[in-house]
Amino acid sequence: MGSNKEPNQGRKEFIKKGLLAGGGLLVASELIKWKPMIEAVKATQHTEVLPLVETVSTEDVVIRMQKELHEALKKPVEEIHWIMVIDQKKCVACDACTVGCSAENGLPPGVVYRPVIKEEIGTYPNVSRRFTPRPCMHCENPPCTQVCPIGATYKRPDGIVSIDYDKCLGCRYCLSACPYGARSFDWGEYHTENTPEVMPYELEPTFEYGDEKVRKGNKSPIGNARKCHFCIHRLQNGMLPTCVTTCIGRATYFGDLNNPNGLVASLIGSPRVKRLKEKLGTKPSVYYLT
Amino acid sequence: MEKQPMECKLSRRSFLKTSAFVGGTAFMAGTLPNARKSYAGTLTGDNNYPYTDANTVLYTTCLQCTTACSIKTKIHNGVLMKVDGNPYSNMTLKDNIPYELKPDMVTNIDGKLCAKGQAGIQHVYDPYRIRKVLKRNGPRGSNEWKTIPFDQAIEEIVNGGKIFSDIGEDRSVEGLKDIYTLTDSEVSKRMAEDIAKLRKKEITVKDFQRSHKDHLDVLIDPEHPDKGPKNNQFLYQVGRIHRGRKDFTDRFVLDAFGSVNWIEKTTLCSQTNNRIWNRTTRTFDNGSWVGGVNSPRPDHANTEFYLVFGSVVFEANYGPVQQSEPITEGLETGRIKMAVVDPRMTKVASKAWKWVPVKPGGDAGIGFGMIRWIMENERYDSNYLKSATKAAAEKAGEPGHSNATYLVKIVDDHPGKHLRADEIGIGNENQFVVMVNGEPVAVDPNDENTVIEGDLFVDRTLDSGIQVKTPLQLIRDEAFSKTMTEWADIAGTDEGSIVELAKELTSYGKKACVEYNRGVYKHTNGWYAAQALVVLNLLIGNFDWKGGTSRPGGGWNFVGNRPGQKYDVNQLHTNKLSRFGITITKEGWNYEESTLFNGYPAKRPWYPFSNNVAQETWGAVSDEYPYPIKVALVSSHTPMYSIPGGQAQLKTLLDFKKVPLLIACDIVIGDSSQYADYIFPDVTYLERWATPQQSHHTRVRVSHIRQPVIAPLTDTVEVFGEEMPLSLEALMLGIAEKMNLPGFGKDAFAPGVDLLRPEDFYFKLIANIAYGNGPGDEVEDADDAELELFRKSHEHLPKHTFDEERWKKALSPDEWRKFVYVINRGGRFASFEDAYDGDFIKNSLGGFSRLYIEEVANTRHSMTGKYFQGYPIYEPIIDSMGKEVIDKEPFILITYKESWGTQSRTASNYWGQLGLQPENYVVMNKSDADKLKLSNGDKVKVTSTSNPDGVHLLDNERSRPIIGKVQVIQGIRPGVVGISTHFGHWGYGANDVTVDGNIIKGDPLRGTGIHPNPLFRLDDHLNGTPMSEPIGGSVSFYDSRINLIKV
Repeated sequence: MGSNKEPNQGRKEFIKKGLLAGGGLLVASELIKWKPMIEAVKATQHTEVLPLVETVSTEDVVIRMQKELHEALKKPVEEIHWIMVIDQKKCVACDACTVGCSAENGLPPGVVYRPVIKEEIGTYPNVSRRFTPRPCMHCENPPCTQVCPIGATYKRPDGIVSIDYDKCLGCRYCLSACPYGARSFDWGEYHTENTPEVMPYELEPTFEYGDEKVRKGNKSPIGNARKCHFCIHRLQNGMLPTCVTTCIGRATYFGDLNNPNGLVASLIGSPRVKRLKEKLGTKPSVYYLT
Repeated sequence: MEKQPMECKLSRRSFLKTSAFVGGTAFMAGTLPNARKSYAGTLTGDNNYPYTDANTVLYTTCLQCTTACSIKTKIHNGVLMKVDGNPYSNMTLKDNIPYELKPDMVTNIDGKLCAKGQAGIQHVYDPYRIRKVLKRNGPRGSNEWKTIPFDQAIEEIVNGGKIFSDIGEDRSVEGLKDIYTLTDSEVSKRMAEDIAKLRKKEITVKDFQRSHKDHLDVLIDPEHPDKGPKNNQFLYQVGRIHRGRKDFTDRFVLDAFGSVNWIEKTTLCSQTNNRIWNRTTRTFDNGSWVGGVNSPRPDHANTEFYLVFGSVVFEANYGPVQQSEPITEGLETGRIKMAVVDPRMTKVASKAWKWVPVKPGGDAGIGFGMIRWIMENERYDSNYLKSATKAAAEKAGEPGHSNATYLVKIVDDHPGKHLRADEIGIGNENQFVVMVNGEPVAVDPNDENTVIEGDLFVDRTLDSGIQVKTPLQLIRDEAFSKTMTEWADIAGTDEGSIVELAKELTSYGKKACVEYNRGVYKHTNGWYAAQALVVLNLLIGNFDWKGGTSRPGGGWNFVGNRPGQKYDVNQLHTNKLSRFGITITKEGWNYEESTLFNGYPAKRPWYPFSNNVAQETWGAVSDEYPYPIKVALVSSHTPMYSIPGGQAQLKTLLDFKKVPLLIACDIVIGDSSQYADYIFPDVTYLERWATPQQSHHTRVRVSHIRQPVIAPLTDTVEVFGEEMPLSLEALMLGIAEKMNLPGFGKDAFAPGVDLLRPEDFYFKLIANIAYGNGPGDEVEDADDAELELFRKSHEHLPKHTFDEERWKKALSPDEWRKFVYVINRGGRFASFEDAYDGDFIKNSLGGFSRLYIEEVANTRHSMTGKYFQGYPIYEPIIDSMGKEVIDKEPFILITYKESWGTQSRTASNYWGQLGLQPENYVVMNKSDADKLKLSNGDKVKVTSTSNPDGVHLLDNERSRPIIGKVQVIQGIRPGVVGISTHFGHWGYGANDVTVDGNIIKGDPLRGTGIHPNPLFRLDDHLNGTPMSEPIGGSVSFYDSRINLIKV
C-alpha cells in the first residue's frame, strides 16, 4: 500500500477544507465535544440472542467460552470487560485467523486486522520461532482515541475500542498514535480491481459493529481507519470472534475478565502471561501466554 | 451469456435475479424486544448480522487441499461471503455437536478452519474463471483463443477430422469415436477374461487370437492383445479429485468408454505412504493377503511421545485443521514430548523438544540407528512381537499380532517368500512356520484357539536344507550392518541424538508414535526408509492402542456395494464395458506378466505395487510405451507445474504426433491447460456435488457431502435435454450423449432409471450414506420444518442448479426426507464420543501387521531385473538402473508448502497466499549465504544437474530464466535450499491471453516468485522423466542438487 495515495472519496476533502476555513485547532476542539457513540445512540432496537444449545459438550474449550459469552451477555454492559488471551505455545502460525478475519470483515487490500508476526530467534542449529498474532490490543488507556479530533474512536464500557465509521473523517492520526500498528486505512481499493471484473464478494455488505455496509463509492468504511473490534457484531449475537472459533491450534481465548470463574480470568493467572509494550502504560486487553 | 467469457459480467442474469442488495436482513424484524437493558440491546441501534438465520447457511465440503474438511458456508444475496468449519463434523470441531440437533438451533456455532479453506471464496470468485468453451486460435501454447459453442466442441472432439483447418492446420485428427472401437459389453467381458488368463500364462497370444478372431480389429496391437483395445488410447489424467467425482469419472472412462487409463496424480503426493501402510496392515485370508488400510495416523490426542519425520504437520499433511489442536493441547499441558526430524525448522519443529536437521534422503539412517539401539538394548515389546496367532495376542492383552516371527526363506542370498508349513511337512500351504524354542511349528495367523509364541530371532538352516530367518532377524541384520556412527553419518546427525530418540520412543509404553510424510518417502529410497519408520511403531506394538497408531475414522459406504445398501452404483450400469489391458503407466502389472516382456531392462519402468503414477504418464506418451495415446483429457491437474521436472515433457504436450488431441477441463486458463486444443470450463468445489474422502485424522466416522452453495459461474448448456452448468460432468455427459455410451442417458442405471444430469448420479451416493448399512442404520427423516429450511437455504440457486421437483426424481420418494436430513447437515457424522474402547481405539486397523512383505520380496524391478526386498533396507539415492546418483552441485533442493498455499488453487487467494506473502524465496542458511556473499532480497539464478542453464521453457519458442530472491534464515540445514511450491505461475491469471481478438491482461500479483519445477533431477535412462521410488511409485522430490548464481 503506497502511503502517498488518497482515498477514493471526498470526506477527507471535507475535513481539509474545514481545517483551512476554521483553523484546525478550533474545529478539532469543537469536534471533541461530541459525545461518544455509546451515549449518543439510543437503544431503540433490541435483539434476542439465539441461545446456545444445552446438549453441546462444554469440554470443548471453544464451546465453554461461547457458553461464558452467553452468560456475560446477560449482564449490563458496564460490568463486562472483554479480554483476549493468546497462547503462543499453541499458535501454529497458520494464518487462519488472519484470513478468517479478512473474510468476516470484508477487508480490502492493505487492511489487515490480525496479522501473525513470525520471528526467528537463535543461530543454527539452536533456533526457535516465535509467532505473535497481533489484533487490536483494546487498551484500557488507548493512545489512539486521544488523538481522534472528533471522538470517532472511543472506548466502550466493555473495554472494546470502537470506531464510528459514520463519524470518522479519515485523518489517520490514530494510525500513527497506535504503538502496536493495529490500525490501517481503507483506501477504497478492491482485490480484483485490476482484473477482468471486480468480484461480488467485494461488493456485498459486511456487518461490522452490527451495521450493514457496502464498500462502494464514498461510503464508509472506505476512507476510514479500520481495525479489530473483537467482532462486536458476532459478540452481540452470542458468537465468539472469528479468530477464536477458527483457530486450529485453539491458541486464542476470549471472554469476560470480570467473570472470576471464567476461562480467560483463570488463564491470566498463569506465570507465562505478559502484555505487549507494557511499559507504555496502555494496559492492553490482549494478554499473551509465552 | 452473450459476451465472451473474460469480459462478461459476473453478475449473470440468474445472479441478479436472486440478489437483493437492500433489505437482506429482514429476518431481524421477527425478534422480540428485550426488556432488560442487557448487552445486546444497548450498544447499537442496529444489530444486523444475517448469518444466525439458518436460511443463509449451507454445509458442504472443502477442497482447497485434499484433506476435505467439512465446512459451513454463509451466503448473502446469493453470494458466498464466509466459510467456517462445520460444527457437526469431528473434523472441524473437536467435540462435534450432536448430529440430531436441528440446523436452525446451531447457526451460532462455527467450527475451525484453516486459511486456505477460508480463502475458498476467492477461489470460486476468481475473475479469471472461464465461462465458455475455448478453442485455440493459434499454435498450442500461443494463448490465442476463441470461444465456441459447447455443441460444436463436443462435435469436434468426438468426430475429429480437420478440426483445426480454420487456423491453417491441415492434419486430420482422430476423434473419440475413432478410438472407441470396442463397444460390445459381452465381447469386452470375454476378452478381459482371456487377458487375465494370458497374464497368468494360462493361454498364449495365439490362443487369444483364435478365440477372438472376429474382433481383433478393436485391439491396439493383435500381437500384444494385453495392450488392450484402442479405447485405451483415450487418456484421462486428473489431479485433486475426490470420491464421488472419482466415481463419476470412473464410470465414464473405465466402464463406459472402456479405457484403462484413468490416471490420478497420487504419486506426486502420498502414494508410497498409502501403499506401504496398506501392505503392512493386510490380513491373511484363504491364502491371500487382503484388505489393508492406506493411511494409519498417530492418535495425537493421547500420545505422549510424538516423533515426526519430514511432515509439515501444521502446514500441510492430511489436515492441519485436525492435527494441530490435539498436538498444541498436548504441548501446553505437557502431555506430549515431541521431536521433529526435518532439514528445515518447520512450524512443528519450532515447538519440538528436539529438532534434528537431517540430511535429505538420510531419514533411514536415523530409523536404522534407532532400530539398532532398540534391539541392542532389548527395548522392543517382545510380548507383542512374539504373538503368532490371534489367541496369543489375546493372551498377551494385545489388540493384534504380527508376522515378526514368521520364517522367511532365503534362496541364493535373497529373502523371498514366507516358508509354508507344507514345505517342511508339518502342515498345509496356508500355514506359516514359526520357531518355538527352536522347533518349527505351523501357524495359522487367524487361529483363535492355539496360543503360539514364536522365537523372535532365528537364523538357521532347517533339516530340510532350507535357510530361514525371521523378519525381525532380517531387520536386525540390516540395522547391525552399520555402526551407530555410520547411521548417524548417513543422516547427517550425531549418534547421541539417535540414542535419545530411541530411548524416548521406548519410554512411554504404547503411547508413543512415529509419524512421517513426504520428507521421508519422496526419495528414490523412500519405500524402505518409510518401512523402517513403520517398523519402529511395530517394535513398540502401538497399533490400535490409544495414543498409538490408529486407523482413520472412515465413514459410511457411499458406493453402495455392501449387502442391504440402496444403490450399488458401479453395478447399476447398463451394458457396462469390461476394460482390460496395460495402463500407459504400466501400473498394477508385473513386467513379466505381459507379452511385452523382453528381458531387462524394460523400455520404461513398470509399477506392480502402485497406481496413479503421474510422472510416468507423459514420458510414456512420448515413448509410446506400451502404446501411443490419441486423445488426452486433463482435468484438475497441471502436469507442467506439479510433476517435478514436468516441463521436460512440454515438448510432448506440444507435439501433435504424440498427443494428437489435447483437451483440458479447467476453471481457468492454467499453467498447463494453456497448452490444450480445447478448454472446457469446469466448476469449483463450491458449485458442484461429491461425496468426498473421509478424514485421516479423526477417530470417528465422517461422511460429508459436497453440494453447490452458489450459482455456478459457468455458462449453462443443454445435454440430454437438460439445462446444466458447464463442468466436467457436463462434458462427460455431452460426450456420452453424442457417442451413445452405455451407462449414461436413458435407462443408464437400469430400465427406467436414467442418468441425465449430475444429480442423478450423486444423489444415489448420498442416499447410500443416509441409509448406511441397511435397516436400522438410517438417519432420521427430515421433519416439515427441515424441509422448509432446505427449500429456503437453496432458493438463491437458479433452477438449473436447484429444482426441488427435479431433485426428488433422482431418488425414490421414501428417500427424500433422509436425503434432506443429510444435506441440511452437510453429511453424516459420528460423535467424538465414539472413538475409544478403554485403552484401545474402536476402529481397528485389522489386528495383523507385517514387518515383512513377501509379495514385494518376490517381485523384480523391471529395469534392473533385481528382486525388491520385503523388509526395510538402507539404499543410497539411485536412478532407474540402480546407479547411485552423485551430482556435483553444492545444494540439495527441498520444497515445501506454507499453511495458506497449494500449488495452483490458492493463486487467486488475495486474502490468503497473495496477501500474506506476496512472493516466495530461495531460502538458505546464513552460513551458506555468507559464503556466496548473498543477503536477503538478492536475486539468484538457480541451475541444477538436469537444468544447467536454469531455464524454464514456456512453449516451443519462449522461455524464462529461473530467478528467485534470496531469503537468509538460520532454521535450515546448511547445504540445503528450500523453495516453496506456490508461486512462479505463468498461467492461471498471471499472463495475458487473447480471447476472440481481445487481450485479457493478467494480474501481475499472480505471477510473482519462483517455481522450482524445471530444476528437478531427471532420470539418466528415461526420456525426460524425474527419478522415482520404484515400489510405491513416488516421484523423487528431494534428490535434486542445485547451484545459485547471483544475478
